[in-house]
Amino acid sequence: MIERRFHRDLYPTAAVDGAVKVFERFARFEVADEGDYRVVRVSAKRPERERKVALELGNYALGLTRQGGLS
Amino acid sequence: MLDGFPKDLAVGDLAEGSVTLTVDAAVYPLEAVYGAAYIFIDRCFVLLDRPKAGSVSVTLADKKGAADADALRRMAGEFANELLTQAWRQKIVEENRVILETVTTQALAGAAARPVSSEPSLDDLASFDFTEESFDDPLGIAMSWEEKYKKKTPTEAASEASSEGGASGAKP
Repeated sequence: MIERRFHRDLYPTAAVDGAVKVFERFARFEVADEGDYRVVRVSAKRPERERKVALELGNYALGLTRQGGLS
Repeated sequence: MLDGFPKDLAVGDLAEGSVTLTVDAAVYPLEAVYGAAYIFIDRCFVLLDRPKAGSVSVTLADKKGAADADALRRMAGEFANELLTQAWRQKIVEENRVILETVTTQALAGAAARPVSSEPSLDDLASFDFTEESFDDPLGIAMSWEEKYKKKTPTEAASEASSEGGASGAKP
């Protein structure tokens, strides 16, 4: 399992949740709020896939933040 | 630590093939950080974080996988340059905001219909004085084309010819 921590000041919840929704067919996700962070835990069958999905998720969330003017 | 960068601002991780830069939010506005990070998402995995209040950390991991120290240094340098470009662009936009808004407002106002108050109302037309005599127009400039070149009736033609003949007869 890989954990990605998205700070609320930088990533709006809608952007993180939107990214999770897009990638949920590639891996399993657990989303939780921990202090200032929206924490996403990614698990997949293979570690490489897990890592790849977690990294792409970060880029996608950033893209949504930037394009949607969500911040 | 990366060559050419202060050690507290840029940290490289060769095993992960990533570099983390810490940016002072007072120097670079958040919009500039977003702009620079967004430009890098086609070649890097980017993650932003806030390690402490007033600073933003940007982690860039090469999409191709493990990178050597030189590649990481280049990546960090290019990001720092892009960050500066974005911050400068942001500053120019802020400085020119008033001008942009003024020009846009004037353009929109010019394209919009004239305000109703500038056009005469029906009451104005009703009270308009039409009794005033028309202005003098000896050359017939104010006449319409039809009025000026219409086919003359035989009576009109004869009277015009006689008046012209009388005028020419008066010539020496």
